[in-house]
Amino acid sequence: MSGVPRASETAMPDTAAKTDQIPVTVLTGYLGAGKTTLLNRILTEQHGRKYAVVINEFGELGVDNDLVVDSDEEVFEMNNGCICCTVRGDLIRIVGGLMKRPGRFDGIIIETTGLANPAPVAQTFFVDETVRTRTRLDAIVTVVDAKNLPARLADSHEAADQIAFADVIVLNKTDLASAEELAEVERRVREINPFATIHRATRGDVPVTALLDQGAFDLERVLAHTPDFLDDDAHEHNEDVASMSFEVTRPIDPERFNAWIGALLAAEGQNLLRTKGILAYPGEDRRFAFQAVHMMADGDFVGPWKEGAPRHSRIVFIGRNLNRPQLRRGFESCQVKE
Amino acid sequence: MSQAASADHLLETRGVQRTLGAFVVAAAFDRTGTAAFALGDGSLQLLHGSEWRSVAAHDGAVLALTADPAGPGFVSGGDDGRLMRTARDGTVAEIARFGMKWVEHVAGFADGKSAVLACAVGKQVHLFDGAGVALKTLAHPSTVSGLAFDARGKRIAASHYNGASLWFVASKSDNPRLLEWKGSHTAIAISPDGDSVVTAMQENALHGWRLSDGQHMRMSGYPGKTRSLSFTRSGKWLATSGAESIVLWPFTGGGPMGKAPTELAGAAEVICTAVACHPQMEAVAAGFADGVVLVADIASGRLLPVAGPGRGPVSALGWSADGARLAFGTETGFAAVVDFSRT
Repeated sequence: MSGVPRASETAMPDTAAKTDQIPVTVLTGYLGAGKTTLLNRILTEQHGRKYAVVINEFGELGVDNDLVVDSDEEVFEMNNGCICCTVRGDLIRIVGGLMKRPGRFDGIIIETTGLANPAPVAQTFFVDETVRTRTRLDAIVTVVDAKNLPARLADSHEAADQIAFADVIVLNKTDLASAEELAEVERRVREINPFATIHRATRGDVPVTALLDQGAFDLERVLAHTPDFLDDDAHEHNEDVASMSFEVTRPIDPERFNAWIGALLAAEGQNLLRTKGILAYPGEDRRFAFQAVHMMADGDFVGPWKEGAPRHSRIVFIGRNLNRPQLRRGFESCQVKE
Repeated sequence: MSQAASADHLLETRGVQRTLGAFVVAAAFDRTGTAAFALGDGSLQLLHGSEWRSVAAHDGAVLALTADPAGPGFVSGGDDGRLMRTARDGTVAEIARFGMKWVEHVAGFADGKSAVLACAVGKQVHLFDGAGVALKTLAHPSTVSGLAFDARGKRIAASHYNGASLWFVASKSDNPRLLEWKGSHTAIAISPDGDSVVTAMQENALHGWRLSDGQHMRMSGYPGKTRSLSFTRSGKWLATSGAESIVLWPFTGGGPMGKAPTELAGAAEVICTAVACHPQMEAVAAGFADGVVLVADIASGRLLPVAGPGRGPVSALGWSADGARLAFGTETGFAAVVDFSRT
């Protein structure tokens, strides 16, 4: 597997190079949730900004934009030993092609099919060197039909996966749901994904500033939205997607952490949809940010700890069949000895 | 003389150069010796002698370029979904259009008698005769990522997910020989003797098939992806990009299996981004991420510097048919033709 980072090899990211990277927004959501309506809304509101839009041929509605790329979603398995490591081959090709056009795009927006699992898109940004250097995954935006979400969660894996991977969730068609239904839907969404920012909407009326330029995959912002600590054990050991977070007070030994997380992702990577952590290493004034999509992991030092604030390390898992005691013991054992 | 000056000596004394301002996607010579550079802004820049001509060929980026197999001029594919023919005088004519799908690869073959033209659009390869009349369409299981005719123009190979397909151009039946290997294959080459097909893979490795006995060949160890691969004229060597040197795999005496490749022109931290084997001699032109262009003589390992660093990562290389001139271009829009012939 590529990528469980080693603390000794990391360096501060090259900020100059980063600003040249074109932000990519992934727009996902179940059939009929209102993805294309939202997409057209983004495009009409963005006067003077240039976007390349990648759609698939099964799109229900037309997309009004100068540059629309029609692509077949091609999910390719990688020969790198991880069974769950897949990439979107079409995106690698399309990004390579778009980079040849002169003049900068302000961004690329990728609309996935309703049944798409967002993991291959996200993993493409970890795996492919060209995609990694030329673009950055800005955010995964998931559009959810507020009225029909409970039914979708009951009858498909994909609906939960799309919420689990989201950085921003647009709870759409809220005019069709009652206040109680909305509260319940938000609770279900939070249970699956405590990080995502939720926006309520009708016909996709969310300000564009809440969707684009989120920097949600920046390590700096990995835990910007501090999730509530839920001590709700109701969803352990079952097929539902759930999230769990853990916090420890003593510094983390980088070698132990690398060994533990490497083995954990190798063994449980298929069940672990997303993992995010902020770690305090001994004698290090900067925070170490860690994130993973299934088995693909990435990490780097980000800004310093706040002066005077406690340097507590935390990690959050979103996935299926999470074993709370085992995860807690594992994370706790990564601390330096007392 | 400073080092930079000596590295640019050939470019300055024997070159015609220009800053074109857009990504140079490909460079090629037609049969009369006119050079063309295909650009990301949709234009072809033709160079005849020292005279430049800009031709608006595509509405979008040009993605692929080849010499017109039917006569003087060029054929190009673009992200506007069109396959275009450009004459030396700059006249442009559409051969075919494919809607929203990109025309990502083109290839041509000509011998004295006939000409065949191929382009890849999504999962399909379309074949045309020299006049641009559609001959047939070859369907693949996934998007075609590379195209190559064999040296006699009898067969065409297309790389795609999980392997490659090898078709007889003139065959009435539409069944390819499937060359299978799991994974994403991203470029393809056929050896001059027609017995080896090699693809570049997503995992920074090459895969090859020896057609006569079905032997698989694995060539790995690249720090980056191989985008460019080219057999020498004799077929003894396969030159490849993707490492901090020109990596040459030996295809003699049983093939590259179990052998170490020859590495030429190694430079720490600078990836070789393009290679093009000389059409007559056992030599290879190579371009690097720092803009360096050189020609390496394989037997002696001698290096001939063509251009020094600083003009952008080399993205296109092409030899004239007689091997006297080399065209190269960079991602940042620098283009040049250098003449090696004795004067």
